[in-house]
Amino acid sequence: MNATITVPTITVHRLTKRYGAVTAVDELTFDVVPGLVTAFLGPNGAGKTTTLRMLLGLVAPTEGEALIGGRRYADLISPRQTVGAVLEATGFHPGRTGRDHLRVIAQGAGLGAKEVTEALDRVSLTAAADRRVRGYSLGMRQRLGLAAALLGDPQVLILDEPANGLDPAGIAELRDLLRGLAAEGRTILMSSHVLSEVAQTVDRVIIIAAGRLRHAGPLTDLTAQGETLEAAFLRLTGTTQAPGAAAPARG
Amino acid sequence: MHTLVRTEVLKLRTVRSPWLLLGAVPLLVIAGISGLVISNPGALADPGTQSKALAHVGIAALFTLAFGILAVAGEYRHKTITDSYLTTPRRAPVVGAKLIVYAVFGALAGLAASIVGLAVAAAWWSAKGVPFGWGDSAMWTTIGGGIAGCAALAAIGVGLGALVRNLVGAIAIALAWIAVVEGIVGQLVGGLARWLPFSASQALGAASGKGMVAAQQLLPRWGGAAVLAAYTALFAVTAIATSVRRDVA
Repeated sequence: MNATITVPTITVHRLTKRYGAVTAVDELTFDVVPGLVTAFLGPNGAGKTTTLRMLLGLVAPTEGEALIGGRRYADLISPRQTVGAVLEATGFHPGRTGRDHLRVIAQGAGLGAKEVTEALDRVSLTAAADRRVRGYSLGMRQRLGLAAALLGDPQVLILDEPANGLDPAGIAELRDLLRGLAAEGRTILMSSHVLSEVAQTVDRVIIIAAGRLRHAGPLTDLTAQGETLEAAFLRLTGTTQAPGAAAPARG
Repeated sequence: MHTLVRTEVLKLRTVRSPWLLLGAVPLLVIAGISGLVISNPGALADPGTQSKALAHVGIAALFTLAFGILAVAGEYRHKTITDSYLTTPRRAPVVGAKLIVYAVFGALAGLAASIVGLAVAAAWWSAKGVPFGWGDSAMWTTIGGGIAGCAALAAIGVGLGALVRNLVGAIAIALAWIAVVEGIVGQLVGGLARWLPFSASQALGAASGKGMVAAQQLLPRWGGAAVLAAYTALFAVTAIATSVRRDVA
């Protein structure tokens, strides 16, 4: 698929979320276009997860809108076949097998055993599919979450820390998978803290901090002057700590 | 809705823990009937004793209440609620499907317990040399009420779990309510307890028949049914309304 005009599939416009006196997301506006892998970066507490949840209809915005293909998530006709999501908040019933976890989602989304088998195969979980999730490693759970996101063969993928728990081979496979999906013309929005990995995977970068947009543009814009992504990130998010300095002691 | 109902059934079929709760229902009935017979073997021939024995089906509704709580609160506990709402962002039908499916399974558990209970009671009666009256209408009414009570409390459990969202919290609230509010406080305040949900369910599934002396003040059976139906509707509507509006953490 080769679109000469890239229509943004994810549009966030003046998105705001307030919890009482706390503003978690503040007039956030950005687009995510198809055919690219876009990184969604920010320090902890920046409002990334809240923004993604608003995109997915899990959290209601206070003001503004977060649309996929011009629609709110709740208005999508077949949500699972339009958007696939891997969130840190999603879990699995420990007593269910990996295959059954996917079967439940497939059943609800009008998909069948074929899609389940394909998704398992795509993330290399076929061998462990009939074991209960309580016996899965962190990496296996992560892959199961990815399989669930891929079940409906969606045009849009939203991933929150997808590489968490993956070994180097898994990380490389994920990178290839995401780049391949983007090359097919899909829209990939990925949030991650591992900036070195992000720099190898993505084309565009959106950075937020304290609920506000700090930067949106091609990765090359940030790294063109020889600055690393990490350095640009720390500069844009106003973090005074120099890279490599000792982290504050944790209680 | 058909898809949602099938999905809820599939969710239940692919795990084991809810079945342990449902399995406790017939076990409680067996224990209750056996205890009744052993403690008072002379009363077997009395009218109303068969009804009293099968009234344990209604008491076992406590387990279907816990089962119902699993429906939504269990999904929050295991964090599968996110996937459920991602698959079906229109949440009202999701909760509606849970209410239906869990009420039906609650009723089936009550039915299974009734069948087991009848078999066990008949065996006991026969062992004590007393003919078992299969035509005892009081007993059949009690059984019907008990099964309905199991279904209603399962639905109330779904509603409670959707409102509280925390599994342990919802179970704690349910038990504390039954033991403290309905059990003690209600009795102290001039029999107010009989208007409360668990007591209403006990009234629905209570023993009846000649010579019965009520152990506690309860509504008549149809009064219990009406009150319980009202509570079930209240919990269902409130649960659906709050689920639709709430942020999913």
